[in-house]
Amino acid sequence: MKALRIAFCLLAFAALAAGTALADGPAIGSAAPNFQLTSIDGKPFSLADAQKQYKAVVLVFIATKCPYSNAYNDRMKQLADDLAKKGVLFVGINSNATEPVEEVKEHAKTHGFSFMILKDPGNKVADLYDAKRTPEAFIVDKDGKVRYHGRIDENYEDASKVTSPDLKNAVDALTSGQAIAHTETKAFGCTIKRA
Amino acid sequence: MAARSNGLRKSRWFAGAALVAALSVPPAPAPAAGASRLAGELDAKSFAETVARNKGKVVLVNFWATWCVPCRQEFPDLVRLEKAYRGKVAVIGVSTDLARDLPAVEKFLADMRPEFPNYRKKSGGDDQDFIESVDDKWGGELPFTVVFGTNGKKARALSGMQTYADFEKALAPLLK
Repeated sequence: MKALRIAFCLLAFAALAAGTALADGPAIGSAAPNFQLTSIDGKPFSLADAQKQYKAVVLVFIATKCPYSNAYNDRMKQLADDLAKKGVLFVGINSNATEPVEEVKEHAKTHGFSFMILKDPGNKVADLYDAKRTPEAFIVDKDGKVRYHGRIDENYEDASKVTSPDLKNAVDALTSGQAIAHTETKAFGCTIKRA
Repeated sequence: MAARSNGLRKSRWFAGAALVAALSVPPAPAPAAGASRLAGELDAKSFAETVARNKGKVVLVNFWATWCVPCRQEFPDLVRLEKAYRGKVAVIGVSTDLARDLPAVEKFLADMRPEFPNYRKKSGGDDQDFIESVDDKWGGELPFTVVFGTNGKKARALSGMQTYADFEKALAPLLK
């Protein structure tokens, strides 16, 4: 009976802890919430499957109309190509209720995005990760753990003057077995427009 | 009856006094031709000093940008809110626009005609330092609003676009 009570308490505590984690988004080092979405090209995507196939998966919440997100269009294209060579998958996620899939497709075509873009209907994945702005990046490692959360770099205004390419640095450290120096970073961005 | 009429006189006197007080607060004058409508620039240190200068009042600070559609949408409510709560709540706006967007900032302020001070976040440095100095849970999303109590301590942080009712709800417990 006593063992049962302890087990119940442990389960209740675990449920509470999980609830807290979900409400605040996954902490660095905790399990990245799994999800399945469909790409704007109609292809299915599962995070659990992707993390098995790649050294890491980079998720970036993006937008079509946000000037901060758009300032990174060329940088994201380049980064996606560079990361692919290292066996890291770069995925864009559009969770904005105000930006329908046709608009996201057109935007991707206009800017020549070759990386996969997922549409997040009802901003379910943004809620799972407690993503607040665009652009906002997460790195999920092969074990499904969140290893980085934050910005792409510190200078949205001028790519040529970037001094702290935080997302790239984090991927480089992760793929070379080093500790990530800055696991959480911040920058201004547009609020994700939730449904 | 006498007590009731005395009470009525008192409440009329208070209503009259409140009206006179409200009317006697001069609206912020329009700047001279060519002058900026901005009150200045803020970094992490001067932001804290600006909030501290208003100790004794509830302080509501709203971070906005001209390119941010929800910021533009909620701003008229802030203009209205400041008029309604003048004397009790100090409203402060902080534009996060870049220096190159100053003409858009001036035009926005000219259109909105806020009667509260608006600053621009100082250019340069790492935005992360400024963001964290305002609120360590703020990720940098805009708009963002922080409310400080009369004791100068942070009481609420509101992420994303708010309605007039949302602002009032955040202020209510601090005005008791």
